[in-house]
Amino acid sequence: MKIKRHNFLRSVCALALILGASPIQAQIDHQLQLGRIVSNNRDSITTAVRVISDEKDVVYYALMVALFNGELYLKNNELVIIGDMQEDDYGDTLAPLYTAYPKRHPILNDEGKPLIASLIDLEEIDSNRRIRALIQPYLTQMEIFHPDPGKRRVAVETLGNRGGLGAVPMLRDALEKETDSSIQSLIRVALGKLELTHPDPEVRLNAARSLGELNNTFVLSFLRARIEPDANGNIAESDPAVQSEIRDAIQWLETFNQIMVAIQTAFVGLSLGSILILVALGLAVIYGQIGIINMAHGEFMMVGAYFTFIVQNICMIVLPAAYIDLFFPLSLPIAFLTAGSMGLLVESLIIRRLYNRPLESLLATWGISLILVQLARTIFGDLTAVKLPQILSGGFELAPQVLLPYNRIFIICLTAVILIGLVAFFFKTRFGVQLRAVTQNRGMSACMGIPTRRVDAIAFFIGTGIAGIAGWAMTLIGNVVPNMGQTYIVDAFLVVVVGGVGKILGTIVAGLGIGVSNKVIEPFAEAVYAKVLILGLIILFLQLRPTGIFPAKGRDE
Amino acid sequence: MNYYRPIIVFLIFGIAAPVLNAMGLLSDTTLNLWGRYFCFAIAALGIDLIWGYTGILSLCQAFFFCLGGYAIGMHMLLKTGTQGVYGSALPDFMVWNRVEQLPIFWEPFHTFTFAFMLALMIPAIIALIFGFLAFRSRLQGVYFAIITQALALGVWLIFLRNETMLGGTNGLTDFKTLLGFELADSASKRGLYIVAFVTLFASYFLCRFMVKSKLGRVLIAVRDSEHRLRFIGYRVASYKVFVFVMASMLGALGGLLYVPQTGIITPGRMDVQASIEMVIWVAVGGRGTLIGPIIGAVLVNLLYSFLTGAFPGTWLYFLGFLFIGVVLFFPDGLIGLRSKMDINSLKRFFPVRTSAPVAAESQD
Repeated sequence: MKIKRHNFLRSVCALALILGASPIQAQIDHQLQLGRIVSNNRDSITTAVRVISDEKDVVYYALMVALFNGELYLKNNELVIIGDMQEDDYGDTLAPLYTAYPKRHPILNDEGKPLIASLIDLEEIDSNRRIRALIQPYLTQMEIFHPDPGKRRVAVETLGNRGGLGAVPMLRDALEKETDSSIQSLIRVALGKLELTHPDPEVRLNAARSLGELNNTFVLSFLRARIEPDANGNIAESDPAVQSEIRDAIQWLETFNQIMVAIQTAFVGLSLGSILILVALGLAVIYGQIGIINMAHGEFMMVGAYFTFIVQNICMIVLPAAYIDLFFPLSLPIAFLTAGSMGLLVESLIIRRLYNRPLESLLATWGISLILVQLARTIFGDLTAVKLPQILSGGFELAPQVLLPYNRIFIICLTAVILIGLVAFFFKTRFGVQLRAVTQNRGMSACMGIPTRRVDAIAFFIGTGIAGIAGWAMTLIGNVVPNMGQTYIVDAFLVVVVGGVGKILGTIVAGLGIGVSNKVIEPFAEAVYAKVLILGLIILFLQLRPTGIFPAKGRDE
Repeated sequence: MNYYRPIIVFLIFGIAAPVLNAMGLLSDTTLNLWGRYFCFAIAALGIDLIWGYTGILSLCQAFFFCLGGYAIGMHMLLKTGTQGVYGSALPDFMVWNRVEQLPIFWEPFHTFTFAFMLALMIPAIIALIFGFLAFRSRLQGVYFAIITQALALGVWLIFLRNETMLGGTNGLTDFKTLLGFELADSASKRGLYIVAFVTLFASYFLCRFMVKSKLGRVLIAVRDSEHRLRFIGYRVASYKVFVFVMASMLGALGGLLYVPQTGIITPGRMDVQASIEMVIWVAVGGRGTLIGPIIGAVLVNLLYSFLTGAFPGTWLYFLGFLFIGVVLFFPDGLIGLRSKMDINSLKRFFPVRTSAPVAAESQD
């Protein structure tokens, strides 16, 4: 596009207008604002920016962005935006030009190629920090049409909080174009908030009703402020019908909020509980089988996590970018097998010699854990992380502010699957029967011809293998660090102690119990005290049932 | 037992070492280091009583150790008065946390006598309550170990917090005086060393008296056959509670003497790992003997000082292998090793050679 001559004339006219500027600002005068900017006088620019920001006219978006970035120039008294700058052989800085108003288009020369100008020929529109600060909120609000949903979200929220009634048509426009349902709901909330200040009570009534129906509890404080007296005793909402509608909305939203908090607490508790179960399961299998608390259990988890990390890095090299997320399912069997075979190795080298000496094996496994942690630190350094697979990022949005993350949901499901698999293994396979037999009576099982030592070894393999899976799952919710095993391990020990010896059901009940009660207590006391309180409760619980929820049947040894 | 042996030990560590230090032949640092080892040894004696003799693995000895240490640390901080960095009568960390008034539970620590008594009584009372609940419900073996470990973890977390007014992660430090003695003086350091050694010496004989008495026999019986003992009519739980309390007080005594010598106590001393490490001292030295834990505590800590200085990064490997090795190969520790070794096994380890190859080697 060629620069049109008459624009220049327009600018001159505008300049003339400023001199005798009329202060009518209700209806924005585009020429007046443009003229103010062209004048390149800081005070005039500030005035223009203020008017534009108040009016929230999207036509100025390109211009404001350029002004904000210091890319707005004057060429022959015409506003232009410069593109990427380049230096030519003579040391002059050259840049392609774009139009600034109403849209940003490349300016073409007579041959139809982008017009390149030397910066020396241009005059920069002066902007300073104060002007940029004035522009910033306008830019944010204009992003309701931005392609990035995250930016749209922020823009809608700022418009709802800071915008005036002038922003309503724009929001309606955005609502029509919006495809994301959660942002649509946010736009409705913003509209409702803005329209609550509308002079017409009918509009206010509708706005209050729609705010009540949108289930967004963030507007609660806003609604309360409308009907409660402020510092001077004035109530913002005068109409009694609207007041009662607002009260209804507040009441419903409060109930809704309580329900959501309850659901979220239950979910977080379930999530923690399932993590504890996942960590404690392997521990419980081993403890039930050979009476050994494997202090290195957390470190077998760590092994699983690190192998996930290794598989991820290999996949990054081997697989094309689109399939990288395949590393996650691929690393599952690897985490299980590596952790399990390391467990088997430890069992045959160390644990096997310590059967019937549970306290000593506790110390020996602690030694193993120290070595493994230090080994991991030497090899991998202190902090590595596994990328969250695309499919598990984000979450299920139950309500505008209640997000159930997919990775947590995944872990809950994983725990359920492993539990079912383990139960099937224990009760439906021949080997499971042997395992249970050895747990119940080792001597008798041996007499019946069950190879108890081999059963022990396989139990250890399965126990540490499940730890590996737990570590694999743990990469979804945290970093992979050498001492990651320590985070949940003491809690997992407690789960085993509370659950009772070698009972899967006990582990489930204890894990969920400890997990959920932790999260129920947390709102009242801080996490640390919740933990201590739980410990106290566990000690008291063991007064009643010293051998756990489901004690082993048969005689004490 | 040879009666001259303790006398020799006393002469060397109790008299010769301080005298050499006073003459300038033994550095303050070394003496101070050994003084700390003796404090660890006192705590290790406690573990030996409960684990070595009674067969109960307690994984919270470091917690009791720190309770003693914190009590005396609080006392010393209060005695610092306005000499702290901020010139406030409150301890420095409270000034950071904008605390205006001394928390009420700090008040008793103004006087040494109270602080000293509380240093021993608080652990004792905690051990009494905890032990009563645990042993009454017949928690034993691995269960008890896990529960005490959870206790250690829980309390560690509490001590890490700032709002509990115990110094948070940084702990208590910057002590100036104890009973009017300047802690920085080398004479005070020497004094603390002597006190630590004498206390260790006395604790050793106290424990010795205990394990040789009828009580000690019962404790060993608890370890070896608890059920039988209970059927005979002993109240096993009471004995266990008693030994748990004794162990906790020995731990606290160690901590009490330790803190003035190091000048700092942080929650890092009481984490889960610290307690288990204390157990390994006893295991290395030899549980079920009284000299074993003392040797073990000193030896492992000497090694720690040496290895962390000479080969940084290897300590955890070493410690890990120590745990495994001791449990697998020397379940009775160094003492057990010595008593097993008669002349024959010595010959097996060091076969008698003719003089010829030795001569050949020396020629190389």
